[in-house]
Formats: sequence, structure tokens, C-alpha cells
Amino acid sequence: MNQVHSLAGTMWHRWCDNAAKSPDSVAIIHWKAGEAPRRWSWGELIRTAELYSAALTIGGVKRGDVCAIIAKHNPLLYPVYLGCVCAGAIPAILAYQNPRLHPEKFREGLLGMGKRSGLDWILTERGLENILQPVLGTGRSTIRGLQFPFEGNEYLSGIASDAARRAVHEMNESDPLLLQHSSGTTGLQKPVLLNHRAVLEHVKEYGKFLRVSQTDKVVSWLPLYHDMGLIAAFYLPLTLGIPTVQIDPFEWVLAPSLLLEAMSVERGTITWLPNFAFSMMADKIQEEDLDGVTLDSCRMVISCSEPVRYRDQEKFFERFAPRGLRRESLSSCYAMAETTFAVTQTPPGRDPVTLAVDADALSKGIVRPATVTSTTRFCVSSGELIPGCRIRIVDEEFSDLEDRRVGEILIKSPSMFDGYRNYPEKTAAAIRDGWYLSGDLGFRDGAEYYVIGRKKDIVIVAGNNIYPEDVEAALSELDGVIPGRVIAFGEEDADFGSERLSVVAETVLTDEAERRQLRMAILKAGMEIEVSITNVYLVPPRFLVKSSAGKPSRSATRERVLRLKQSEMMMRSGEQDDLTRIESGDLERAQGQ
Amino acid sequence: MISHELKAVILSALKVNDWELTDQTVAGEVPGWDSLNHINVVLAIEKHFGVHFKGVEILSLKNVGDLQRLVDCKLAKH
Repeated sequence: MNQVHSLAGTMWHRWCDNAAKSPDSVAIIHWKAGEAPRRWSWGELIRTAELYSAALTIGGVKRGDVCAIIAKHNPLLYPVYLGCVCAGAIPAILAYQNPRLHPEKFREGLLGMGKRSGLDWILTERGLENILQPVLGTGRSTIRGLQFPFEGNEYLSGIASDAARRAVHEMNESDPLLLQHSSGTTGLQKPVLLNHRAVLEHVKEYGKFLRVSQTDKVVSWLPLYHDMGLIAAFYLPLTLGIPTVQIDPFEWVLAPSLLLEAMSVERGTITWLPNFAFSMMADKIQEEDLDGVTLDSCRMVISCSEPVRYRDQEKFFERFAPRGLRRESLSSCYAMAETTFAVTQTPPGRDPVTLAVDADALSKGIVRPATVTSTTRFCVSSGELIPGCRIRIVDEEFSDLEDRRVGEILIKSPSMFDGYRNYPEKTAAAIRDGWYLSGDLGFRDGAEYYVIGRKKDIVIVAGNNIYPEDVEAALSELDGVIPGRVIAFGEEDADFGSERLSVVAETVLTDEAERRQLRMAILKAGMEIEVSITNVYLVPPRFLVKSSAGKPSRSATRERVLRLKQSEMMMRSGEQDDLTRIESGDLERAQGQ
Repeated sequence: MISHELKAVILSALKVNDWELTDQTVAGEVPGWDSLNHINVVLAIEKHFGVHFKGVEILSLKNVGDLQRLVDCKLAKH
């Protein structure tokens, strides 16, 4: 193990320390359905990472280079990632190519991302070589080369272990450690660069708050290109020296019982999930898939990355309590890439506080208890501040609001980002006087913080942020859509436990066959930018509601659509299920009522 | 060859009026058939045909032809 003094305070030094203390302890368990898990001991993980570091350096990777890592669920991902850090490079895990996406679009996305992130290298599988090769030498690309570390021995051949030891570069705690992307459609994502100190300090503080001990074990299906997967389920356990079980996200979404099976078999104690996963696992897992599964080892199931919905927490608990899940294991967290990860968190040992509030008053920004005559909304707390983090709740003039008043959430944290890389205009819009403007709406009640909505027009589908303008840009040029007359927005889907993406497009088409074709074209255009559009509303010209600036207003158009759907639904049967079956013609008829 | 019955169940689960499904069709080619919706398609098929698929069986499916063969195999065992 390399113990160079100059590495003190770096993540690599921390990992080497963990390996030196317990070389034979398990660091990472790579979980693959139907196969024996691959267990990486600390000693083996660091030794292999050193070999990768040497090979990357020989391949031309230098200190400060950004290395995009694109691979399927692969047991070599971990030493490749650690090897990048050992080489002084900056790893950035990117999503694997979605088969729906045309290779040209995938390449365009990478080039767009490279423009901001400054991607220098792509570390990937040989299977993606033909698809990725054209990104080199386009004249627009910052990418200097492809390397294939996932070929294992072929890539590492000729690397002697003494070369590996020499390959540990000098680095210090203020060097960039990692690049993660905050949100947005591929190519339009905002890159967040975090240094060693910020990440180390954050996971140490967060781990302390979670009362992590050496008996803990993280289990996660979360993708590592998402901050929740990367920081909570990868960096936190690796920093604190506890094992992490990594499940393939693609396998989990097809067979969600895998998480519970892994939790049971590995005696996992902590997992993080977006809200939709609580709903999905409660509703979709069948009893036949839970043979022998027990959740009595689980001490925290933390809801994060989406608004926490009371109904989904409750049904998850009711469904899995007979399997040993304890109520106090339910937990929630408010986090974002810009602050490394967590800002607030439910303290361990109790479930989140839930307030039953008057929904009408809440829509006016006032939090007061529900009464027998009011419409009730349940607000689930995202917990208390992590030590070092600060939150202000402010009004439109940035004046601080008192408890139980709804405003925008502003955050200051010791592990906050310095700005979006190569994106000064977005940085300027996101930071004011050292405070990060989250764009989220919420309130404080004593020590507890509640996130109840968004000021920005972001749609969150299953934990993924989608910017409506990206969708609108992709659709507005389609034949049949009146140029620029399209609006995208999120619609709450209670059964799904998340939002669904809806689109309203103005068209002059009246022939039903042509309208069907247009609807399909809209769905396909969504697929090409990797978003799934659930509801398509084709409407006549001048349907979209204009804002005072004369542009189509998303919120006002959304309200109009939902109001029309509501009145149509009430006319039909009053059953909520009918919402999804309403066609554009119905909407137009309802509009004429 | 994909049966009319299986096709109808899949398209109904996806809320798609019509779409050609062949043995070689993969989920990503069909509007709405993304990874999040896959479980809804599977549950609709299980419910309609009165069968149950194990997790590893679902994970081994590569295309609609595989899905048809799995349904046929389950029905033959009934």
C-alpha cells in the first residue's frame, strides 16, 4: 500500500488506510442475479486499483484529466474507478448507452457533455468501441482517446506491481476528486466538480449523523452516475470502511425483489431509495419472490431524491412489516449534487415526522393543522440539518421567513460546490451571496425541514430530473406541431409514486389517423432524448395559456389541462382511473363546456 | 410468431393503440416500453394468462419472441 505523506487528507489516502487496517475485510460485494456475488476485499481492491492507475498513466492519463467511465454493471468498475483517483485523474461515471437512443444522439450527448465537463478520456467496454470511436477527432471534441480497462487482463498485461506503486501520483486534499452531473437531459447536464476535502468531510459528517458503525452494510441498486448512488452508496461506505452491496440498476427495475433478497442474504442495514421505489416494491413484488426474505437486519430505508410521499411510506411499511421491517427504519433525506449530497436527514431510530396540514392554506404558503372541514395534505419531514449545513427559507425578496411559512430553500454547506464547471451563467443563477438557490419550496417547523414542491419547472420522474425545455425543444420542430407551441410538465401519478411526463402540443390536424401518427411521433421524439412521455394532449391552436411576457406558460397551461381533465372525469364517472384514458378530443370537448 | 392475445395484452399495458410486434422486437423499440414500465407489462401478462415468472426468467428475456416462448412454456405446464 502506498502511504506517501503528500496524500494525507485525500480520498486515496483514506482508502489505503482502510486497506492497511483490514486488508481481508470485504469492501464491495458486486451482486448479479443468479450468480455468486463477487467480493472485493480491501487489499485486492487497492492492489488492482494501483495496477489500473499504472495502466491509465501509461495510456496517457494525467493528473487532473477527466475520465468518463461508461460500462454496464461490471465487477471491474470499482478498481477502475479507484485507479482513476490513484492516478490523480477525475472519474465521472456516465449512464450506459440506452438502446432506445440512436448512436448519433448518444455521441452528440457526449460531445455536449464534454463541452462543459471537459472530458479527456472515455474508459469503456470494447463492445462500445464502434459506437464511440466517431467522437474522436471531430474537431468539436475534447476527448483524446478511448481506453478499454474493462477488458481486464488484456488491458493490464505488462503492468508490473512495482510500476503500479510508482504510479500513485502526488495529490492533495484541494484537488478535484470527482465529477458528477446534477440533472438534465443528456448533453445538457450541469457538471459538478468536488474536491477530496469536500467529499471526505461530507461523508464523515453524514456517517456520524447516521451513527454508522462497523456492523453496518449498505445495499444499493442505485446507478452510480446519480449522486445518491455515488455519494451515499459508494463513497460513504468506502470512506467509512463498511461493505457496500452493489446491485445492477437494470436488473433491479425488472425484478425489484432483488434489493430485498440482497438485503436479507447479506444482512444489509442501510439503503437509499427514491420515493417511487417504495411504491413500486410495495405494489409490484409478489409473495412468491420473497421466499425466505427477512428484513430484520435493516435499520434505515432512506427516502431521497424525490418528494417523500406519506402514502408510499405507509404502504411500504405495511407490506414489509411482516418480513421484519421496523417502522423506525423508515427515514428520509434532502440532498443534491451541488452540496455533495445530504443537507437534512431523519435522525436514526425514529421514522420521519408527518404533519397533517390544511391543503388550501398550504397552497397560500401557510402551514396550519388540518381541521375536520379542510382538505388534508400530509407533509413528510426530510429531517434535521446535518451538522455544518445551514438552510434559509426565503420569500421572493430573499427575506427570511418564520417557521411554518413556505418559501424557497437556500442552502450553505461546507461541502458545497464552487459552481458548475464551464457554465458561468448557470453558476451565477444558482448561487447568491454564497447561498445555493435550490429552487425547491419548503418550510421549517422547529428542527424539521419539509420539502413540498418546486419553484423551478423541473419534472422528477422516478428520481430523474427532466427539464421541460429540453423536451419542448425536441418536439417543437415535429411535423404537425405548430412550431414553438408545445409545453411539457409533470403530472402526479399516485399509483406510480412519482410524476409522469405530460406534453400539450397545438396542432391543426383533425384527421384521427394523422393525429394518431403525430402522437406516436411525439412518443418517439421523447425516446430519442431518453425520456418517456406518458400523456400526450393534442390541442387546437391558441390553447396554450400565455404568460404576461407573451410566452406559453407551463404552470397556467398545466392548470388548464388538469382542470379540464378533472371536469371531464367528473362528467364521466368520477373515477380517477379514467384520467389516463382521456384523449385529446375529450379535452377539446371539455374545453368547450 | 407473436400471438394476437399476447400482443393485445402488451399494447394494452403500454396504452399504445397499435404497434407491430415480432419475435425480434425489443422493448426499447416500442413507445412507452421503458425499464420502469416493463414490470407493468410483466404483471399484466401474468394476470391475463394466470402464470408467474421468476425474477431470473424475467431478466433472461431478450426480445418479445423470448417472452412468447416463456408464456407458452408456462401454459404448457399448467
